[in-house]
Amino acid sequence: MISLSTSTFYQQTTGQIGSLRTEAEDLQRQIGTGERLSRSSDDPVAAARLRTLARSERLAEIDQRNSDQARSDLQMADDALGSISNAIIKAQTLAMQAANGTLNVDQRAAVGQEIAALRQSLMDIANGRNGAGHALFGGQAIGAAYEQSGTGVVYVGTAGVDPAAIGDGQSVVPGLTGPEVFGLNVNGTDTDLFTVLGNLAAALQAGGDATGAARDALSGLEAGLGKVTTAQTVVGARLGWIEVMDLRRENTAERMTEEKAAVGGADLATTMTRLQEVMTVLEASQASFVRLASLSLFDMLR
Amino acid sequence: MASDLLSIAASGARAARAALDVTAQNIANAQTEGYVRRNAQVEEVATAGGFLRMGDISLSGVRVTGINRNADMFRQAEVRRTGSDLARADTELSGLKTIESAIEQSGVYDSIVEFEAALQQLSSNPTDPSLRAAVMGGADRLASTFNIAASGLDAAGEGLRFEAGAAVDEANVIGGELARVNLRLARAGAGSSDQATLLDQRDKLLERLSGITSISTSFDASGAVTVSTGGQTLVTGGETATLSKATAPDGTVAFAIDGTAVTLAGGSLAGTGLALAEAADVRARLDALADGIAGTINAAQAGGVALDGSPGQPIFAGSGAAGMKAVLTDGAALATAPAGAPAGSRDGSNLAALRQALDTSGAASGANALLFDISSRVAGRTITRDALGAIASSAQATLQQQAGVDLDTEAANLMRFQQAFQASGRAMQVASDIFQTLVGIG
Repeated sequence: MISLSTSTFYQQTTGQIGSLRTEAEDLQRQIGTGERLSRSSDDPVAAARLRTLARSERLAEIDQRNSDQARSDLQMADDALGSISNAIIKAQTLAMQAANGTLNVDQRAAVGQEIAALRQSLMDIANGRNGAGHALFGGQAIGAAYEQSGTGVVYVGTAGVDPAAIGDGQSVVPGLTGPEVFGLNVNGTDTDLFTVLGNLAAALQAGGDATGAARDALSGLEAGLGKVTTAQTVVGARLGWIEVMDLRRENTAERMTEEKAAVGGADLATTMTRLQEVMTVLEASQASFVRLASLSLFDMLR
Repeated sequence: MASDLLSIAASGARAARAALDVTAQNIANAQTEGYVRRNAQVEEVATAGGFLRMGDISLSGVRVTGINRNADMFRQAEVRRTGSDLARADTELSGLKTIESAIEQSGVYDSIVEFEAALQQLSSNPTDPSLRAAVMGGADRLASTFNIAASGLDAAGEGLRFEAGAAVDEANVIGGELARVNLRLARAGAGSSDQATLLDQRDKLLERLSGITSISTSFDASGAVTVSTGGQTLVTGGETATLSKATAPDGTVAFAIDGTAVTLAGGSLAGTGLALAEAADVRARLDALADGIAGTINAAQAGGVALDGSPGQPIFAGSGAAGMKAVLTDGAALATAPAGAPAGSRDGSNLAALRQALDTSGAASGANALLFDISSRVAGRTITRDALGAIASSAQATLQQQAGVDLDTEAANLMRFQQAFQASGRAMQVASDIFQTLVGIG
């Protein structure tokens, strides 16, 4: 015969109702927070995975920021390259005017001045600043890319641009150096766009016959335009690469969010059903406890 | 001597009264902790016939021979054994949970990730003063969270040691009480209600003691108990030995009885010992993690130059998680450029080396593994504790089935003994009637 002592009956019932209450409260918390785990030990494996996912997400955020910055730097460079090619085309028109020999001395001098002004604006563009305040075409240099030196200019930037990491071990070079845009090779001689324009302006302003100088300049400008167009293509390709990586990051983020929900999220429908189930059992045990506890033989003894 | 109806009936009424008293006592003590259900033991009184009258009817009624205590020694020993195991698992689990909270809520892992993120952000523009300041802020936060985690662990250890100290004191007090109960038991008469009360006290004390440490017991004829734990005798007769604890430099505790070291297998003291050993282990790993990060960062700092071109200085000072401190506060002091680079260099190759070294040293994965190990231990111990809890409560229920008071049974007994009393009264009435009849004849 199994007879429960009175105190054991009360103890066991309190224990059972207490554990049901705890379970209901835990489910309530899960619904409230939307998270299945309240501490790592609830599910150590899931918690460790969630931590790793949170770290990847945080670092991907920084990747996104770095990538945005690289994109803005490259877009600035792209805009600058557009202006440079416009300036070169304008200089070509002027050089062609000067080369056909119909202009008088004053007019040539005026064209020469205009070309000198174009050269200056190219300098300004070359020394233009990116988002971080450094020269657009200066590589890793802190200040300007080109400096005036006597009648010519000298490149004071670095020889390369450090690639920027944009996640997944991929990187992009977020800029161009001066020689990559302005450096020229005309008939086997290394020169640059500033020298070409400087020489033409000087020849035109000198007052003599400048048709020869204008023709030399035209071939230089032709090469210069080719260089700038190439640079534009390079920048475009890099922007495209950033776009690809952005898309990839977006997909990865989506997948990580999904995984986070799967590993640590509380499914609302399941949790609600489970809570309803626990509540039903709880109410039933409370009701049956009241009935059982009121069942005493002493009530029958009269 | 011939039988005497009146005295037989009177003895029956007395026995029924005694049984009713015992029943009332049981009802009154239904909720008393450690109370074991009693019942009155009765015996027929039979006398032999006198000389040459061996065949005579000689009935002399009934008498109460003692108060029986319904305690099964084996079931009680089971309750003590399973209770010891449960207390050990409970204490260890709560200690481990405190350790888990100390590490997890200090946010060590998060601060490592934030520091990494700050370094990664800086790599986009190594000379940016605000990004450099963010890295320094991250380093400071990293050191602080390690400090917080270490002090949280220390506090957890302190709490556990305090509990162990209190439990040791309690065990000694219980030992003294048991010795006193032993002495009184030797003088109490067998079957007396005094003896039953003393035995209740003895068993209650033993149950409390078994919650503190696992004990083995042996009883002599009078019911006096000899208690030993960890192979050493704690109480024998009126003699007690003293349990003491000693704390090692790493915070773990060891126990001794009268100076002889003992290994406790169960009870809250064993649980505290296990939790403290775990705390010391976690602390060592946390220290190694902190030293690893500080060493890696400082070594990488030394390989580069600061923004003003001077050689990089260590960022972190101090040793261990508690001593770790970020000593550089100026973002300009961060050595992002390689050795030999001029002042103000935007060359971030040393920063890249620093990030690489931090990643290779496994700072984040080390912290993750540490958290995983603690939390999986907590999860594992929770399962063990639940299993031991079920075993202990079933042992308790088994004991209570026999030793506990069931009010319904007592109600039935009340009725039964009341009827017995009434029946004896009726028998007395009959005796009186017979006497009247006999007197009337004359």
